Amino acid sequence: MSILGGGIFKGMAVTLRNFVGSYINKKERLTTNDYSWRPDGDLPQGIGDYPKEEGEQLSDTTTVTNYSRNFPMLLHDGGEPMDTVRCVACQICERECPPQCIYIEKDYDENGKYIKRPAVFDIDVSVCMSCQICVEVCPFDAIVMNSQFELSTPDRFGGLLVRRDDLLKSNDYYHQIHPEEAAARDQKMAVEKAAKEAKKKAAEEKARAAAEKKAAEAAKGDAE
Amino acid sequence: MSLVLIDILIATVPLMLIFASLFAFTTWLERKALARIQNRIGPNKVGIPCTRISLFGLGQPAADGIKMLFKEDIVPRGADRLFHLLAPILALIPAMLVLCFLPLEFPWTKSLLPVQAFLLDGAVIFFFAITGLNTLAVFMAGWASRNKYSLLGGMRAVAQMVSYEIPLVLSAVIVVMMVGSLNAAVIADAQTGFNWFVFSPWGFAAFVIFFIASLAETNRSPFDLPEAESEIIAGYFTEYSGFKFALFFLGEYIAMFAISGLAVTLFLGGGDGPGLANAPWLSVVWFIAKIFALIAMMIWLRGTLPRLRVDQLMGFAWKFMLPLSILNILVAGFAWHAQQQDSKTITVITWVISLAILYGTASGLNQLNRGSARPRKYKYAE
Repeated sequence: MSILGGGIFKGMAVTLRNFVGSYINKKERLTTNDYSWRPDGDLPQGIGDYPKEEGEQLSDTTTVTNYSRNFPMLLHDGGEPMDTVRCVACQICERECPPQCIYIEKDYDENGKYIKRPAVFDIDVSVCMSCQICVEVCPFDAIVMNSQFELSTPDRFGGLLVRRDDLLKSNDYYHQIHPEEAAARDQKMAVEKAAKEAKKKAAEEKARAAAEKKAAEAAKGDAE
Repeated sequence: MSLVLIDILIATVPLMLIFASLFAFTTWLERKALARIQNRIGPNKVGIPCTRISLFGLGQPAADGIKMLFKEDIVPRGADRLFHLLAPILALIPAMLVLCFLPLEFPWTKSLLPVQAFLLDGAVIFFFAITGLNTLAVFMAGWASRNKYSLLGGMRAVAQMVSYEIPLVLSAVIVVMMVGSLNAAVIADAQTGFNWFVFSPWGFAAFVIFFIASLAETNRSPFDLPEAESEIIAGYFTEYSGFKFALFFLGEYIAMFAISGLAVTLFLGGGDGPGLANAPWLSVVWFIAKIFALIAMMIWLRGTLPRLRVDQLMGFAWKFMLPLSILNILVAGFAWHAQQQDSKTITVITWVISLAILYGTASGLNQLNRGSARPRKYKYAE
């Protein structure tokens, strides 16, 4: 036989523990403000004060963890963004996107010939659900997740439609915000590239061998 | 004549100002406490405008108030415009009115003409009569909104408030019996020197019943069925926006203050506390501190308990609280007669017996009411 109303007291003890604990053990309790990755390993004084200090850059993506992912961005390999952009406007991500928030148009030169890059690449971040499916389906490692979180805007429609030029980010930036993932991706790309080149080389060799053989046969035929 | 008017203003305006600002503080306190209970931080940004001084977010209530003032006042097309407007006002006025009956002895009211409304002889009765109006306001809001959720909320509120009014009044009856007066000031005076009613078995039982019933009366969690957000989308004030909503909010919190104030008067000794001999003005401080202790308890309970089902709510009022409070009246009656003997042994015996009776009845009622509520047995899924 338990004491009358004992369950209520038990529940109240739990909430009291959480209440007091959130003041004592901030690091463990206040998980929405995880600063434990910081070099000093300690929480800043004004915990939860955001923006933290005067003059601190608002959209400083280095202040969030390496595992933060918000919305997609497009990668280029440095230099003039549109010259080295990885995206070839194949539109796979556009078709796979569950909420259909990506809009892509292919780019053509003056002769009407398709050049492998997007003329228009829009992402409506008011629709995007950050599912990262576009990242997974992209065969060119062109679209990855950004960790930028300061996206509030006074313009409800245009402000939330992120254009191609704003989506373009360099691979260096990617290395800066998601070092592990970027390194792994670069390695994977290098392996793929090596495999491709080896295949190409093999094909070339084969072709050359075939050509030599053919030439030899032809020479033989000529001799006869 | 005009002197009396000025006296009335001096007596009442500070009351309204104090409790309105306490309301602002309480909303902040509640949000902070609930946030901490849920391992969040709560409001911490808004402080002094145009500076970066945040003061733990204490400016949040003011910012919310300004926001409410400037919001659009939307009235549904099919709504009864007059009653839609009247309901929030009617929710606020009774709550404000009953504050006058609390025996708060402000230093500046001492010298005034007898405008101290709490000198009213039937203050306790008057208190219940006026807080009963709150039910009307809630139902009026639900009806006038022409919204099914609102109407459901209003009907739930009526059922709940009518049911819980009975144990509320019956537990207050014990104090009235013991003191022999309905005057709030007399009741508070009878408890001076830590002779509080909560320090006796019957008084404690009555206090617990009163507190639970007052939670239900003010629509606080776990009895917040009339405004259940997850079921009927804020219930009776679904269709309220802007300042009308703020009035409802204000009325609800003022009602919390008022009913906590009555609980303090009846059971917790009013303004009684240490240090009163040297500084009589401390009685107001003690009174408000006790009110805040009760409010903190309410917030704590809100952070802890889930909402009751409708049948559980009704069953709790009629099958548990009502029999217990009636029995408590009997116990208190016998105890009063035993106390008249003025003998230590008889008092001790009375205490032991009444404790046993009350606890036994409470746990017996608890067992009886368990009834069909057994752990669920699965037939196929094992």
